[in-house]
Amino acid sequence: MRGWFDMPKIDVSYTDLCSLLGRKIPIDKLRDDLLYAKSELDEANGDILKIDVKDTNRPDLWSTEGIAREIAGRYGKTGLPKYNVKKGKIVVKLDTKSPVQPMAVCAIARNLKIDSSFLSQIIQLQEKLAVSFGRNRKELSIGVYDLDKIKFPVRYTSKHKTEIKFSPLGYEQEMTAEAILKNHPKGKEFSHLMKDTDIYPVWMDAENKILSMPPIINSNDIGNLTTKTKNVFIECTGYDPKFLLVVIDTIAAQMIDRGGLVESVSNITGTKKVVTPSLATKKFSMDMNYINKVSGLNLDNKTIVSLLKQARYDCQLSGDKLNVMYPSYRSDIMHARDIVEDVIISYGYNNIPAKITSIATRGKLSELETFTGNLYEISIGIGFQEILSYILTNSDNLFSKMNVPQESAVEIENPMSRNWSVFRTWLIPSLLEFLAKNKNVEYPQKIFEIGDCVLLNPKKETKTEDVKKVAFAITDVKVGYEDISSVLDAFMKNVGVNYSLKEKPHTYMINGRSAEIIIGGSSAGFIGEIHPLVLKNWGLQKAVVVFEIDVSYLM
Amino acid sequence: MSQYRLTEEGKKYLKTGLPEKQLIEFLSKSGETEIDIARKELGETFNIALQWCKRFNVVEIKNGRISLTSNKIPDEIHNLEKSLNEVQDEKEPVSSDAQTLVRRNLIEEEKETLERKAEKIVGSEITYLLPEVIASDMWKKKPFRKYNVTVSGPKMDIGKRQPYSRFLSEVKRKLIEMGFIEILGSSITTEFWNFDALFQPQNHPSRDWTQTYSLKYPKKGLLPENKIVQQIAATHENGWKTDGAGWGYKWSSDKAAQLMPVAHDTAISPQTLSSKKLEIPGKYFQIVRCYRPDVIDATHGVEFNQMGGIVVAEDLNFVDLLGLLKEFALDFAGADSVRFLSDYYPFTEPSVQMNVKHPKLGWIEFGGAGIFREEVTKPLGIDLPVIAWGLGIDRLAMHKLKINDIRYLFTQSLEWLKDARVV
Repeated sequence: MRGWFDMPKIDVSYTDLCSLLGRKIPIDKLRDDLLYAKSELDEANGDILKIDVKDTNRPDLWSTEGIAREIAGRYGKTGLPKYNVKKGKIVVKLDTKSPVQPMAVCAIARNLKIDSSFLSQIIQLQEKLAVSFGRNRKELSIGVYDLDKIKFPVRYTSKHKTEIKFSPLGYEQEMTAEAILKNHPKGKEFSHLMKDTDIYPVWMDAENKILSMPPIINSNDIGNLTTKTKNVFIECTGYDPKFLLVVIDTIAAQMIDRGGLVESVSNITGTKKVVTPSLATKKFSMDMNYINKVSGLNLDNKTIVSLLKQARYDCQLSGDKLNVMYPSYRSDIMHARDIVEDVIISYGYNNIPAKITSIATRGKLSELETFTGNLYEISIGIGFQEILSYILTNSDNLFSKMNVPQESAVEIENPMSRNWSVFRTWLIPSLLEFLAKNKNVEYPQKIFEIGDCVLLNPKKETKTEDVKKVAFAITDVKVGYEDISSVLDAFMKNVGVNYSLKEKPHTYMINGRSAEIIIGGSSAGFIGEIHPLVLKNWGLQKAVVVFEIDVSYLM
Repeated sequence: MSQYRLTEEGKKYLKTGLPEKQLIEFLSKSGETEIDIARKELGETFNIALQWCKRFNVVEIKNGRISLTSNKIPDEIHNLEKSLNEVQDEKEPVSSDAQTLVRRNLIEEEKETLERKAEKIVGSEITYLLPEVIASDMWKKKPFRKYNVTVSGPKMDIGKRQPYSRFLSEVKRKLIEMGFIEILGSSITTEFWNFDALFQPQNHPSRDWTQTYSLKYPKKGLLPENKIVQQIAATHENGWKTDGAGWGYKWSSDKAAQLMPVAHDTAISPQTLSSKKLEIPGKYFQIVRCYRPDVIDATHGVEFNQMGGIVVAEDLNFVDLLGLLKEFALDFAGADSVRFLSDYYPFTEPSVQMNVKHPKLGWIEFGGAGIFREEVTKPLGIDLPVIAWGLGIDRLAMHKLKINDIRYLFTQSLEWLKDARVV
């Protein structure tokens, strides 16, 4: 199985990580420890460690603080991390009318000692959350501000785009919203998120100063953190409260891990009040036996409890019922399976003796594959070279260059390149394309391909169907119809199928030198000499003779 | 003087008539008869007689009985006998008949004629050892031209499999030996099989258009039987009967029906699991041509193959899964040193990545696997643990074929193909 999308890759300072853990861990030991935090050390370059976090659903691990928190479980700091959130007095009013990211949650953190490592982690976590968790700001975006530069109360509101004017991050002068989308690098990158509306959301303080314009950009002064910043205001805007709560709790945990004091904020929409962050403890109940059933490890209860504590859970056991307590930012826990995996990770994948169990079953090749095996044997026996082409091509190759009318074919809506945008309906264009790329190679050239074509079929679940075809081509200075008809005859004799040829003109073949291959009364393919007009379209300078048959007629 | 003389056999038939004539004469007397009776009558010449009668199309064999199709003795037979007589009388026979008689070993060329002919062909030394040279014993008189035996002849091309295509066939054979059943994939699938049946929520980032292709035409496909669709919808929305919480959103059948080029081989597995033909225990594999919008470079082709499958049996667990991966590592990479890392797939839990130790390159990623989440198996009606596995087949092929650019797997260079060794 290939990973679906890139796993978050984070930069971590080795000294910073060790200082958060309160001990110096040799790099080789750390390499092993990272496996217990669903991570892999990809590269260690001086002080900078490049770490792959192998879970797109564990944003709590996408920072030095998160990695340290998880690894600490292996150095005695076990059980649920304790996080206190002080009840704060700050109230934020949400009254945006923009369809873009209409929801918001906030938090406040004070008494921070922001050094360069911490600062880069605040920025990195924000970015990873917005990219991986927020689908590149489509689902959510985040802002962190210098609290002391803000005049409260703060509002999340909206304005017509022509009425928005402020200095975006990195620019001294004021710009209109439209100018930002047009000229600012972030504006250009994310302008597509605003394309359906003229009403843009903005964060504004008591003096109507703009803090930011989500999901595009912060302001240059308030929205700019430095190592001098002591207190911060954090907001996260988006659509789905489920995601927003995870994000705000994840950032709050990061601040507390750095010694900050986190205060809650009351987010008011109309008469509705939501207090964030919560960092509440969540509970999950499951059958204790399920762990051994899925893992196959035969662990006793005591071991399981201690493994879970190392993975930063708290546990209560009553009879066979296991209650696990976990922090609110763990949104990945949906099923008892998720707990089982954490038990196994905590046990260590490489501490498990992998035993090869044999399940007696009888192997079988598909009928089609078995049959095409025979076709390969015959084709190479006749002395032809097999080629393998892409199934994707384009309508020029399939139709225009072949001098045949355009037909409807299966087409991709969002191709990377027009060259590969349509699924092939026949093989001859693939063969001609191949020959056109080998004009300087010795002649004669004799090639064949057995490959899938994709045809429309309204009766099928996918409205399409893969059809396996076989095609042969010879090109030479002097080559004619009987050179290919004798190949066809040898091929068919050895397949053991009776066929006949019926003269039939094709626009891509020379008149009087092309025929239909008839098997059991139906047209199963065609044979002939390619028309010079088509050769010219492909830039071919020597004659080409071909045949192509639908494999299902041969079976 | 004639160039020919009769052989002993020729002399015999001159008296008795050619075997085929004897058979015709016998049959015209006896009428339709058992083959064995005719065989007895003609003795050792029967097979020759039958062969020539068939060629002249004068006999018919049905159900072990033989009969004439015409009572007339064909002209060809008369002509051959006439030529035999002419050779006897030292006259010149018609050359085409003479050639036939030579081939039937009934007449042979006179030694002097042979020698004269051979002399003319050979010249001062023998190049090719022609039949005339052998028959005339000319090789005793003339020297053989010496060849430079250390030089090989002109270059020759042979018919060959495309190396990558052949590699895929070999891999399939190996999997069959391991007891796996092959399942065929298809180029086009619905989002339902590619994503929904694998418990990937419809608002999952990987379903964004930058991660997969979608179709312009045709747009929408059909969903399978309603029961499975309902169960999968409920599992996404609220966990259904899986003891899980689900993703908590409103599932859309319209989105699920969208058609797309298949983006990963695992899209096949839920179809295998919901098939009525599923065997338990069962081991299945598929090699699927997959499509994703990647920027094409040395590690990303326009298309790529994925190999994967499932194992379904009572009481399978994570220890069995690691065992299976180890078996793959041994059989496919010859590696007995393996390392397991945790991994994430939306459809398996627990999940694992396997690395194998390469003597030069160190640890390399070899495959991924996991136990399907209950949110995948239960809605498909499967209440057993199912192992899902996948191996990096393209990487394995590149290693085996000693190439470091993935685009060579679908090479367009005839020269490269001609130079590629089979062994």
